[in-house]
Amino acid sequence: MTVMFGFLFWLILIPFCIGLIPANFILPQKRSPGFVLLSGYFGMWALFEISAVPAVLWVEYDNFKIASAVFTVLTLLSAAAGIALLYRNGKAGKPGLIAGKTRKRSEAGKENDKSVSNVGGLKGYMAASGKWLLYHTGIEWLLFFGLLAFQLYKALAYASFDGDDAYYVVESLIAQEAGVMYRILPLTGGSTGLDVRHAMAVFPMWTAFVSVRAGMHATIVSHVVMPLVLIPLTYLLYYEIGRNVFRRENLPVFMMIMALFQIFGNVSIYTNETFFLTRTWQGKAVAGALVIPALFWVFLQIYDKGVRNGRTDAGLWILLICINMTAGVCSSISVFLVCILIAVATFCLAVAERDWKVLFKVGAACIPNVVYMAVYVYMAYSYLLK
Amino acid sequence: MWGIFLESVVIFKNYMGYHENHFLAGIYVFVLLYLWLTEKDRRRRVLFVYAPTLLLFLFFCPLFRKVFVRLMEDSETYYRLLWLLQMSIVSAYGLIRLMGKHRRIGLAAVCLIIIASGDYVYDSPHISKAQNAYHLPQEAIDIVDLIEPEEGRITVLVPADLIYYVRQYSTDIELPYGREMLIERWDYYNAMYEAMEKAEVIDTPAFVELTRTYPCAYVILKEDREVLEPLTDYGFSVYGQVGEFVIYKDMTLQDQ
Repeated sequence: MTVMFGFLFWLILIPFCIGLIPANFILPQKRSPGFVLLSGYFGMWALFEISAVPAVLWVEYDNFKIASAVFTVLTLLSAAAGIALLYRNGKAGKPGLIAGKTRKRSEAGKENDKSVSNVGGLKGYMAASGKWLLYHTGIEWLLFFGLLAFQLYKALAYASFDGDDAYYVVESLIAQEAGVMYRILPLTGGSTGLDVRHAMAVFPMWTAFVSVRAGMHATIVSHVVMPLVLIPLTYLLYYEIGRNVFRRENLPVFMMIMALFQIFGNVSIYTNETFFLTRTWQGKAVAGALVIPALFWVFLQIYDKGVRNGRTDAGLWILLICINMTAGVCSSISVFLVCILIAVATFCLAVAERDWKVLFKVGAACIPNVVYMAVYVYMAYSYLLK
Repeated sequence: MWGIFLESVVIFKNYMGYHENHFLAGIYVFVLLYLWLTEKDRRRRVLFVYAPTLLLFLFFCPLFRKVFVRLMEDSETYYRLLWLLQMSIVSAYGLIRLMGKHRRIGLAAVCLIIIASGDYVYDSPHISKAQNAYHLPQEAIDIVDLIEPEEGRITVLVPADLIYYVRQYSTDIELPYGREMLIERWDYYNAMYEAMEKAEVIDTPAFVELTRTYPCAYVILKEDREVLEPLTDYGFSVYGQVGEFVIYKDMTLQDQ
């Protein structure tokens, strides 16, 4: 029971509350529960980077315990701020932070509702459900949820071997059992100097943090709990991307195609689809499946109304900064990769829109990446200065 | 430069499983061309057409590859640049546009094409029915449960089959060498590893001498592992057996 409460608290409640902060700073029609949860996760991981990376680099003893304490305080404060914003918004009678304005229903939806109210009772409900299945998007949604349930079942009941677990999962376990980060060689157990490239990507430490708070062995959390959380979260992101580009009836089609691409995307061991379903719990898989698509998601929203909206879309800039910071949590290379994607997409936008100011705005959102890379270079090559 | 370009082509082919008759890349390239011709929304063109095309150009550009590898100090991860293309998102977007109003028949056709062109991930030889909640081999867990000390840490010599798993279950077990020895291209050398895994028949006197330099409290061997002389003649006793693995305990360490 305590374990379940721990997971619910740290994997649902806390990120959801944190996500209310960026939701407060976007247009009401862009808000949704999915936006809140996803942006909450990216916000939470950004806070974890702030808490853990300095501790890894500059604290020698009990650095995991110190990072955990700092992260706990920061997340609780952020969650409290999110709740305060929700309360203030509700009191002022503004559109809700979670769902924003009620979206207009499609004509098909209205017809559907009418048929339910006209017939009434169980028979009416069955008739409406049948109609929804046959003539609207019911079958597609059912098929998609079937594919999602299948992936979750496979993640739960099947073990996926990956050699890198001897490093990443053991790092999480060392942090949980010994309270230290990246000071013990995971492969053998001997003491080691700081391997900056891996040490700055603190995703395994976040797994360790969740394990400690929930009171479960880090290997079980990595191999079982993380896929059960990260797979639905990734599909939630795809849903949000789909919501931005498709009409309502095409959304389940998009979700189904995305699910099939994941399941049949194992054309080699290198694809992000393979990483997503076979090493879901590793930071680099999170980078490929969540962080990079999240950039598409944010850019679709920023581009949707034009980047000149300025203050209205401040929440999206906050989110972009958090996604950039999450890239650093996942892997050092991801920081470089997201910079390339952002640079290329922004350059194309600037040319297409003939608006060069956008380069500076997006560039400012990449400052965390620049700081990350500067710290990386300093830590990796500072011995040359001595 | 031409050589570097050809290397990028090979990386792309390997990434897309082209040599194993997988053609998801074909869908992607087709969709990209389709979007070049039909996508009218300027901002979506940026994300779904211009940016992927420029990224593909960069991927194959020798100069870019040289800079990337120099900065990352690692040529093995260059394929991750292809993650930026998010082929499945772009492909799904283009295919749904192509379907138009023929949603259901289009979806059925797309499903068939994906299944025919892709590879089912759960067929992978690396995926098997989980034996426990840890998703580790049960033998590894049973062995560690037998030998794990109540306090402190011990060093244990285990066969290559167990190296990946032992410390995922308990970090109180230390190893003389780890996974780094199993990856040939990393080219590490360890005398203990050579004596344990490379030798056709374990040379018991030299082997025992090496184990005591760490010192290894336990040595675990597969029951069919050939040894010149039994370990029991050199101060070890059989502590137990789990499946095909025989656990030897170094009794001389207990005496100290």
